[in-house]
Amino acid sequence: MSSEEAKVVVPRNFRLLEELERGEKGIGDGTVSYGMDDADDIYMQSWTGTILGPHNTAYEGKIFQLKLFCGKDYPESPPSVRFQTRINMACVNPESGVVEPSLFPMLTNWRREYTMEDILVKLKKEMMTSHNRKLVQPPEGTEEARADPKGPAKCCVM
Amino acid sequence: MGGEGESQPLTAVDGVEGGEGGGGAVAVNVRCSNGSKFSVSTSLDSTVESFKELVAEKSDVPANQQRLIYKGRILKDDQSLLSYGLQADHTVHMVRGSAPSSTPPSAPAANAGNQTTAPNVTRGVGSNDSSNPLGGESLFPGLGFNPLGGGNAMAGLFGAGLPDLEQAQQQLAQNPNMIRDMMNTPAIQNLMNNPEFMRSMIMSNPQMRELVDRNPELGHVLNDPSILRQTLEAARNPELMREMMRNTDRAMSNIESMPEGFNHLRRMYENVQEPLLNATTMSGNAGNNTASNPFAALLGNQGVTTQGTDASNNSSTTNAETGTVNSIPNANPLPNPWGATAGQTNAPGRTNSGGDARSPGLGGLGALGGLGGLGGLGMLGADSPLGATPDASQLTQILQNPAMSQMMQSMLSNPQYMNQLISLNPQLRTMLDANPQLREMMQNPDFLRQFSSPEMMQQMMTLQQSLLSQNRNTTTQEPGQTGGAAAAGTGNNMGLDLLMNMFGSLGAGGLSGTNQSNVPPEERYATQLQQLQEMGFYDRAENIRALLATNGNVNAAVERLLGSIGQ
Repeated sequence: MSSEEAKVVVPRNFRLLEELERGEKGIGDGTVSYGMDDADDIYMQSWTGTILGPHNTAYEGKIFQLKLFCGKDYPESPPSVRFQTRINMACVNPESGVVEPSLFPMLTNWRREYTMEDILVKLKKEMMTSHNRKLVQPPEGTEEARADPKGPAKCCVM
Repeated sequence: MGGEGESQPLTAVDGVEGGEGGGGAVAVNVRCSNGSKFSVSTSLDSTVESFKELVAEKSDVPANQQRLIYKGRILKDDQSLLSYGLQADHTVHMVRGSAPSSTPPSAPAANAGNQTTAPNVTRGVGSNDSSNPLGGESLFPGLGFNPLGGGNAMAGLFGAGLPDLEQAQQQLAQNPNMIRDMMNTPAIQNLMNNPEFMRSMIMSNPQMRELVDRNPELGHVLNDPSILRQTLEAARNPELMREMMRNTDRAMSNIESMPEGFNHLRRMYENVQEPLLNATTMSGNAGNNTASNPFAALLGNQGVTTQGTDASNNSSTTNAETGTVNSIPNANPLPNPWGATAGQTNAPGRTNSGGDARSPGLGGLGALGGLGGLGGLGMLGADSPLGATPDASQLTQILQNPAMSQMMQSMLSNPQYMNQLISLNPQLRTMLDANPQLREMMQNPDFLRQFSSPEMMQQMMTLQQSLLSQNRNTTTQEPGQTGGAAAAGTGNNMGLDLLMNMFGSLGAGGLSGTNQSNVPPEERYATQLQQLQEMGFYDRAENIRALLATNGNVNAAVERLLGSIGQ
């Protein structure tokens, strides 16, 4: 079997299921958490992740929520990543919360082995870099400031 | 209230499926921001707030300073753990935050009651006490396995279901919680979460289909699993239902003020909403409209309709045909669906060699699959009147026949064979594909064995009977509804057809599947190959190799394919 190892590519679904399990069971370094938004989404596209603000930074004591969207071509191409919590960080668009791939090299130099957990961990490391750690952060209470636009629609039948 | 979370089948099925759904106490891991980790035992029905109290006992962080994160989401105090999809053995992250000034620390006291009611249920199962307020729960051991095991379980098996049928049915009728409990069982939720299956169920109901035909715009509604689920959700939750109706009313009154809007609205309401709501209103909730309720009927797979004579001649193959062709409803006593399923699958079995020995086994298997998922739905079925006592003894006889049990055992102990059965039946396969948990369930030999034990079957029969007689009660209360009942009967039949197909072809397919060894692997494993392809394994040669190595077992082949990457 080992001779064929390079040929077999883990299909998208298996890959995402694996990530889902890791997220649910809390496997990993435990400082980030992530999971699927809608357990019934058979395409497993929409994910939520959180990053705990690392110690000794301006982010300490806060919980940052992100939306990750895995397109049909994930993991060939990276998911789109957007902060829901307001954050002041070099690679994040202050208005939309989107992590700009051009400023966050991991997304530009994406490799299919990378996982969403890797993204979250990398973003957390990014928070600890010298140019980010001292940035003044928006005041508390702005979490979930960017509510999900689809949210209210869920309550009607047809 | 607390009892519902602790009902027997939940815990039992939980164990098998790895903790799906809400149920008894399960272990949830909590991981602190400092890296330490511990496990908390909680009911998934409890609120986040009460869960925090439990966590507070195990850590030095007061509940109001805890911030819990699961799947990337911050858990809100007033939500239940279940609403976040939390399951056994999953991990919640806990961060110490600052105490919110507004929250009084003693608030969760009321919720603690949830946990303390837990022991009630085992009492309800073990005793014959007819005045037991949880008597309704005693219907459940048919699905579940008493976690206390041993003598208690046996007592429950024969003690609880049989003597107090009347009592139980009355309680069931008076207790909307029961219905909700049933809807909450993982087995049913699994089905609900399976859009394919839900759709085919709905489409197999002539009334619903007509509705869709007349209103093409409704088609997409049915194709959206979340809407379907919502509708069902509403059907089982009267409050939600009310809320939804209110919402719609509000929206309508807004539109009414627009010119021509009102007319359109009215048309839409008449054409779509009313029938749909009618259709989805469960007997348990509506309580007064059972016979004319097509959807409830649809869900009731005991609608074998005219197989009334079935009890006495279950072994005759003609049975199978009458069941599917004839749709005259309610005139005859309806038989027990388990018996009927066995009867049905007999037919394909006979045409094969060794059919006599095998077919009861397959029938049993059908029943078994039914137990797993559809049995649950069957319970909700509203309008099959008149009990089927003779059937019970019939099935008991079959089950107690040593040849039969041997047959079943050998079949069940061979996972390969099971897999083949499963993968050869397209309907069952799509169902399983769309629903990995069900697949797991079907492939877990322990689970199958437990389900196939004669005691279990008997218990299921008992359960079924009590429900049937409950239904009879409801039906006789409205003799005027024969017209509606007729329609409902048809709905029944259609739903049943689906089932029959599923398990019937399972029998036939399984038998033919085993005798094809000299066909080239591409052909022999065509279905499996396609399955792998659909899963995203595009290397055909590699797939064939894997299938050959695993004897056509898709699951094992996938394992193998994935395993080869890891090395």
